[in-house]
Amino acid sequence: MTWLPFAHALAARQDLPIPAWLFAWGASIVLIVSFFALSVGWREPRFEKDRWRPLGAGLSRALLGLPAQVLCGAIGVFLLGVAVYAGLRGTEAPDRNFALTFLFVTCWLGFPLFSVLLGDVFRPFNPWRAIGRLVGGSLTRLAGQPPARLAYPERLGRWPAAIGLVAVVWLEIVYGVSGGVSVGLSPHAAGVAALIYTAYTLTMMALFGTEKWCRNGEVFSVYFGMFSQLGSFAVEDGRLGRRRPLAAATSWATVPGSAAVVIASIATTSFDGASEGAFLSGLEWTFERFIDADLALTVALRLTDTIFIGLCVIGVALIYLIGVWGMSTVDGAPPLRKLWSGFAHTLIPIAFAYLVAHYFSLFVFQEQAQFTYLLSDPLGTGSTDLFGTASSGINFQLLSANAIWYVQVAALVIGHVVALTLAHDRATAYWGNYRQAARSQYWMLAVMVAFTCFGLYLLSVSNA
Amino acid sequence: MNRPTKILTVLLALVTSVALAACGSSDDETATTQTATTEAASTVETNAKEARSGDGKKKPPAPPTIVIRNGEPVGGVQELEYSAGDEVAFSVRSDVADEIHVHGYDVSKDVKAGGSVSFSFPAEIEGIFEIELEESGTQIAELRVNP
Repeated sequence: MTWLPFAHALAARQDLPIPAWLFAWGASIVLIVSFFALSVGWREPRFEKDRWRPLGAGLSRALLGLPAQVLCGAIGVFLLGVAVYAGLRGTEAPDRNFALTFLFVTCWLGFPLFSVLLGDVFRPFNPWRAIGRLVGGSLTRLAGQPPARLAYPERLGRWPAAIGLVAVVWLEIVYGVSGGVSVGLSPHAAGVAALIYTAYTLTMMALFGTEKWCRNGEVFSVYFGMFSQLGSFAVEDGRLGRRRPLAAATSWATVPGSAAVVIASIATTSFDGASEGAFLSGLEWTFERFIDADLALTVALRLTDTIFIGLCVIGVALIYLIGVWGMSTVDGAPPLRKLWSGFAHTLIPIAFAYLVAHYFSLFVFQEQAQFTYLLSDPLGTGSTDLFGTASSGINFQLLSANAIWYVQVAALVIGHVVALTLAHDRATAYWGNYRQAARSQYWMLAVMVAFTCFGLYLLSVSNA
Repeated sequence: MNRPTKILTVLLALVTSVALAACGSSDDETATTQTATTEAASTVETNAKEARSGDGKKKPPAPPTIVIRNGEPVGGVQELEYSAGDEVAFSVRSDVADEIHVHGYDVSKDVKAGGSVSFSFPAEIEGIFEIELEESGTQIAELRVNP
């Protein structure tokens, strides 16, 4: 049985691994920047006090008023409907069907990007939140009082979202298997999955309340919301405002399970990158053991991938735990538990950098398809041409290999610097004594260097 | 040297060595992977290279041929490597009827059972691309275009 590498159903083109010289340069810059960071540390926390300032009231009304809420919600529900319909009724060719590119590239990769730039843009378009609010509001009006809710167990925090995040990635890259070859998720399966997720989410919203579930359990709200914490724009008390970039992130991880969300994000992106290169022989070996044990091909392949996703989650969590444990040995340290959640937000920039490094080219190329032939012919059956762009293709010459490499390495280096900045700031808040704060940061520095070097390593061997 | 500075120096040294070791070893691994790939790559690749350096001779060496037996590529997924600007040239001999599709470049040609078909196009898009039997979905080769 020959092992065939992951065939990403959508990607007609894969990135070349970064050359050794760029790997060396990237790693060297990371180390130099890190040593520099140790020497310039500021002594008072600068991001901890969230300085949110409102923008013009007119702008707030236009962007956040009821007409805008209804319009955005309706767009969200409509697009989810189109994706489900295309998935169920459209072609089974993954690259010609609107559903897969829309759900897993445009939304799954687009919202993190736009959340960092513009704030929590998913919230107004969230189709499930829109339905939940509409139904909840109607019931309140009919009964004269809000519907009864269960109390959400606060200890559960964001754990449902963390588990959901791994499940989404598992569905995207592990579930789609045919005859011992990973073929990617089929559009039909994506449509069915979206329906199941809709039923699950609406049930949870009915039980615990729409906003409550969006804050804790709704995978996409929590995941995209996490990235919005890095940016500058935020809504408070129904008013649009600005704040110092990164400032909001400092209070993000106060909810239990937040560390699990960001760890799941880094781990799943790592798995996707590593499965094309670094893990290839390990995956092959495990797969063959399962075949020897007379498991069916499909079962063996899914089991192999599932084990490696699990290993990635454990590995990322362990690296972070070592850093946190190290910090707890420094005099005057808060308890381990507080450190664990207190530094979780410092990993958000790393998670974002991993996303950019691994999916930047896929996003640029696949969005050309999204806005040309997938928009004109969403079912991919060749029967419609809504906007006259059904016969367009993807221009793969838009990005040279060199341009992609530089963006990848730059993303990792910048993510590294931002992560160090946040960690240093948190340390100055936790340790009154500057010396001890600085000493605690050797540990986080080692954690960040490990993640960034691992990210560079994955880029240098992917597809090799 | 006072105590904190000493600790700092020691830790810096530690981090550097760990990081360098990590990066160094991955460098090695990259190198070995590349060597392994190169060694594993069948004669197809060397043929491709010969084809490129085949100037001066009256008759340049034939472009590589990918042989399909029972719907599978003989010798596993073949590797074709070119630099941007080269001419990609190869042919496929198959015992099954199918459509050969070069992804990314979106070039496809039908092949009859027992027939053979040849491709030639400029390597103008950088990246890694699959070449597959479109109907059966079997990958037969990987086209690599380096900058």
